Amino acid sequence: MKVLKLIALVLSLIGITDSVYLTVHHYTAEPVPCSIVAGCEQVLTSSYAEISGIPLAAFGAAAYFVAFCLIVLSIYGNRITWKLFGIQATLMALFSCWLIYVQANYIGAFCQFCLLSAFTSFLLFVAFVISLFVRRNPMS
Amino acid sequence: MNKEEKTKSGMPLGIIVGVLVAAVVGMGVLYSCSGKPANNGTPNKNTPKNTQATIQPNAPDGATPPNLLGSPTATVTVEEFADFQCPSCGDKFPVLKQIQSIYGSRIKFIFRNFPLTMHDKAYDAAVAAEAAGLQGKFWDMQNQLYTNQKSWSVDPNYKQVWADYAQKIGLDVEKWKTDMAGLQTKSRVDADMARAKALQVSSTPTVYINGKAVQYAEMTVDTLRTLIDSELSANQASKPASTGAANTGNSNSGQK
Repeated sequence: MKVLKLIALVLSLIGITDSVYLTVHHYTAEPVPCSIVAGCEQVLTSSYAEISGIPLAAFGAAAYFVAFCLIVLSIYGNRITWKLFGIQATLMALFSCWLIYVQANYIGAFCQFCLLSAFTSFLLFVAFVISLFVRRNPMS
Repeated sequence: MNKEEKTKSGMPLGIIVGVLVAAVVGMGVLYSCSGKPANNGTPNKNTPKNTQATIQPNAPDGATPPNLLGSPTATVTVEEFADFQCPSCGDKFPVLKQIQSIYGSRIKFIFRNFPLTMHDKAYDAAVAAEAAGLQGKFWDMQNQLYTNQKSWSVDPNYKQVWADYAQKIGLDVEKWKTDMAGLQTKSRVDADMARAKALQVSSTPTVYINGKAVQYAEMTVDTLRTLIDSELSANQASKPASTGAANTGNSNSGQK
């Protein structure tokens, strides 16, 4: 159980790093030309990339940070926070599915860092689901 | 130490605050190291280079007559290859519009359609603009498409959105729709694409000034003015422009 929580902790840190990078990129990156071979930043410049002028990645960074906090508290013995984390991980995984759907069906392009975030969210959800089936170790 | 003591200890708070500080510091470091190009116009390392630095004279002509603003007899030609769904083309649209406004009939500005296959609506957008051009409103439709690019690019009902633009700019919408479905508009787009491929244009937007490629990082108003002024000086001033030179009798030029 503790191993699962540590894995979730690492995943949340990956999510924070990825989202922080995307947030900074949103504010600082020069648009690049659309290349025949390499594509362009269609996803990151689409109208789906921000809410009320705030980049979606910033919300993602905040969400991963909250997940990180809940996991840390859970590791130190707070059982309720792990359940809260489970609810959050479920919501994040569902939202990530929606974002992948938008990329595929509306934008027509994928952003690799966005896919990394979606994958991370999904793994957090998987970690929580596995924890539901793991026999509680009295030492954890 | 039992679990309750662990929970109450400062460790969890310390870890959380530590990660928060690291994230903020990391953000600051990333921001300060952001890869903006130097103001002297040094090309950004991400700028793809066109294979052909200059236009070869035997390249196909492209759509005839071309979508042209300014004077057909001007000594300086600015030729843009662009894609209506390309975010960078949308980003440079105001820059090139300002250049058109500054130079007027002192230059010949030509727009070439080069929709990239990765943009699912780009070819249709080019056809829509050409259909508007058959009614003398190419530049008005171009303005609508670029100004509203972010919204229609992700709208599944984009064709209705474009029809609304067509109505807004005063087109005969039914004729516009018919022309969109016809061969003439597609042939014009295909002709521009053939010219782009012959010139090995590899990205959008691509701009040539008197046949010489301009790097993406140089597509600022100031740098373009320097390049155009240099060409104008080299040609020892442009020829006097004829009155209404932009209207050459075909419906694809001059209507802004």
